[in-house]
Amino acid sequence: MKSAEVASLLFQVALRNLWLYKVKTLVIGALLAAGSFLAIVGLSLLSNVEKSMRESIIESVAGHLQIQSMKAKDSLALFGGEFFGRADVGSFADFAPYRDVILKHPNVDAFVPMGLDIAILGRGNEMDDVLDALRAGIATGDKRLVRDRVDAVVFQLGQLSLELAERRKISAGDADAAAQEADVERMLAPGAFDDLLSVPSEREAEPFLQFLETKIAPLSGEKMPIYLGYLGTDMGLYTANFKKYRIVEGEGLPQGERGIMLSQKIRETQLKNLAARLFDKLDKRVNKSGVRIAGDAENERTAADLPRQYSTIVGQLDRARAAALSEKLSVAGFRGEDAPGSGDVAKLGAQLKAFLTVNDENLNERRTWFYANVAPLIRLYQINAGETVTLRSYTRSGYIKSLPMKVHGIFSFEGIEDSDLAGATNIIDLVSFRELYGQMNAASRAELEAMRAQVGVKDVSAETAEDALFGSGSSGSVESSSAATSEVPASPSDVEKGDVLKTLVVKPVLPTSFNPEEVRSGLALNAAIKLKDFSKLEKTREELTLALKSAGLEAKVIDWQTASGLVGQFVNITRGVLIFAIVIIFVVALVIINNSIIVGTFNRIQEIGTMRAIGAQRSFVLNLFLAETGITSLIGAFLGAAGAVVLLVSLSRVGIPATSDIVTFLFSGPRLFPSVRWPVAVGAPVAMAVMATLTSVYAARHAAKVQPVEAMQEKE
Amino acid sequence: MDALATGSEKRNETPGHAAIRLVDVTKVYPLGKTEVRAVKGVSLSFDTGEFTSIAGPSGCGKSTILNLIGCMDTPTSGEVYLGGEPVSGLSDKELTSTRLEKLGFIFQSFNLIPVLTVFQNVEFPLLLQGRLGAAERKARVEELLTEVGLQDQMRHKSNELSGGQRQRVAIARALVTSPRIVLADEPTANLDSATGERIIDLMQKINVTHGTTFLFSTHDPQVMHHATRVVRLKDGLVVEA
Repeated sequence: MKSAEVASLLFQVALRNLWLYKVKTLVIGALLAAGSFLAIVGLSLLSNVEKSMRESIIESVAGHLQIQSMKAKDSLALFGGEFFGRADVGSFADFAPYRDVILKHPNVDAFVPMGLDIAILGRGNEMDDVLDALRAGIATGDKRLVRDRVDAVVFQLGQLSLELAERRKISAGDADAAAQEADVERMLAPGAFDDLLSVPSEREAEPFLQFLETKIAPLSGEKMPIYLGYLGTDMGLYTANFKKYRIVEGEGLPQGERGIMLSQKIRETQLKNLAARLFDKLDKRVNKSGVRIAGDAENERTAADLPRQYSTIVGQLDRARAAALSEKLSVAGFRGEDAPGSGDVAKLGAQLKAFLTVNDENLNERRTWFYANVAPLIRLYQINAGETVTLRSYTRSGYIKSLPMKVHGIFSFEGIEDSDLAGATNIIDLVSFRELYGQMNAASRAELEAMRAQVGVKDVSAETAEDALFGSGSSGSVESSSAATSEVPASPSDVEKGDVLKTLVVKPVLPTSFNPEEVRSGLALNAAIKLKDFSKLEKTREELTLALKSAGLEAKVIDWQTASGLVGQFVNITRGVLIFAIVIIFVVALVIINNSIIVGTFNRIQEIGTMRAIGAQRSFVLNLFLAETGITSLIGAFLGAAGAVVLLVSLSRVGIPATSDIVTFLFSGPRLFPSVRWPVAVGAPVAMAVMATLTSVYAARHAAKVQPVEAMQEKE
Repeated sequence: MDALATGSEKRNETPGHAAIRLVDVTKVYPLGKTEVRAVKGVSLSFDTGEFTSIAGPSGCGKSTILNLIGCMDTPTSGEVYLGGEPVSGLSDKELTSTRLEKLGFIFQSFNLIPVLTVFQNVEFPLLLQGRLGAAERKARVEELLTEVGLQDQMRHKSNELSGGQRQRVAIARALVTSPRIVLADEPTANLDSATGERIIDLMQKINVTHGTTFLFSTHDPQVMHHATRVVRLKDGLVVEA
């Protein structure tokens, strides 16, 4: 009875003291509330982010576990690290033995061999495109076709002439620019193409075409090269095991077929017409993020850029389409009366500039009109499903390997379509991957042998190379070309042969399919492992490491988080920062608590002395101060917890919008619907209150040392 | 009650009957690099039921002697006996228990615990003792508060009371554990003379009815007048006992 009643007295005195010293109580309570709030909201959000990110990463590329060669110099970074795509992540010359060991584990569901690399997507410019068409037209000897294509070239020249005039305004007095402009004007002069229109032989047309290709076309400027990151894998296994993969256009890449699945995000952000891209960007920011154009620097910049992109539309049109568009624009009220000169191109340019001048009021209307009337006339995407692109890759031996790849379809990862991180990866078949990586296969060897036979190449050793090539005995003539596309062998002796082969212009003709057995074994850089039971991930990882070791196979088995690179570490880093912040708040709270007890002891010295004088033991005073801290901390921390729970519950209804690309990836979608982590919501405030109370023992002991004689001190 | 008649010397020779006895007690306080000798070899004895005033000017050692008797301070040399038991050598815990069980205190500034009600202030020592049940405690507290005339202010906070009322609460608190000795340090110093008079009357009444030994310090001649014995101090020495 005694202890319960003393405790009750302590509680009462403590509560009343807290009320008496309200400011101190409020400050300490508020700090603990903030700490508890931060801990619960932060840890709950992180837990949710980790869960959603885990799904994004595991179900798009990483799988639950990854294996990587022990010889790798760099760690795997499937979603980007320091050396995206070009890191030395090692390789397995044949992954089959690894697969066989790994698939024996009862918790392993699938083993998907893969590799990540990067290649350049080769592109010319619009002038190159029309000149290619003209060259092809001349080869057919079809007069009508040649006239059409000359017309397209002239149209482009008109466009180029306007562009150069614009440039002259910026760089006046440049002699080169004047000469270039003169060249273009010469080609635009009446009758400049008359010789071509008479349909000469290809040979006769060659100097004229070469002039256009070497002097005129480069003036249009090269399109920026696009670096494509890609994942090479066994498509059958990949599509069966990665749930986020979704085809949005075209068809899938069938097992046994060569080709590429292009990421929708890359196509939208890099391969779409620039005017359309700017319209999309504005649409996203204005209509989805709710940021008006007027007053927002980025939107204003984008809106100012938009009219300048009229050339990306005009450049793609032939005369008939340009006239049709001009007519439509006139009907829509854009008459082009302020055109800088006469002529169709100048008028259409002025019309488009006016049309592309957008503001908050007309954006939606203009964008709709653009997609309804302009987009169908132009090539909206530079690459469409069904077309073939050329990928150029630096092989591991340092040579360029060029490979034509059919774009079978466009895909995205479900839920993270908007994420650049997830959208940075394209997918190709494993056989093509190996070739771009620099490995010879049966088909490429056969092709190489055929080419050698055709051009009579002999093996030349390094010692005799000079004599063989340039010495008196040499009778071969070597044609130089910058566009070397020959196969690059991987072995050192083959590399030497390659030096000779590199000088040949060879358009490789590769089969479009391969024997599916080729991807059942052979080269892979890494492999994803899908598990049946995710909760046993760490145990399985350890067991697989041991199993591989005991089978004499050297490989690292790493979890999805490690394999995904920096982004996978995001949760750990954020958790570290969060815990650091909580610790800081907590330390500040503890300092204030201890300080307030010590200061409070001075203020309450007579009260404590009186209690001691009339018979209260030191332990009573100690417990009184601890009770005061405990009650304040507990109430503060639980109020913070309540606030956190209310916030999380309301956020779980409306969701947290992903404001940037990385956040979209982390949220695994455009919004995160967080849930409350109840063990944290209950545990955090209790732990904080207990710790705050325990750490105030020192100061409370200080208070308990007040001598009873202090009661006798007369109040000032 | 024949303290003045028999004289202190005689009482000092009969320790068995004394409620309080000081034998050659000296108290030296350090003051910077020097020392202050507050009490200089004082020997005194107080019988059970005495109503004694310790008088003298400020700084004469009144409060020091009360502190030493009240187990709130320890003598530099000499010995203090309470009910024949020496106080030196007791631990802090034992001294605290002695204060709780054997002594009652009345302070110059009343020293009520501000956050507690009148009733709770008086009940406080009983709770620390933990001997009585709630009903018994209630009865005891109410009895004492009625005795000091505060039966209608039991639920009030101390800051809602007048100085005289506060000191009555302090008297009730000092008596609630039925101590044999009540020590009062200048109990009327913060009260007007009429109120002070009434407080001394109350103490005296309790002294008579309960037989409690009262020892109070004062420098007010009017208050001294009520005492059955006056011990006068000057410069740490007893000049009249």
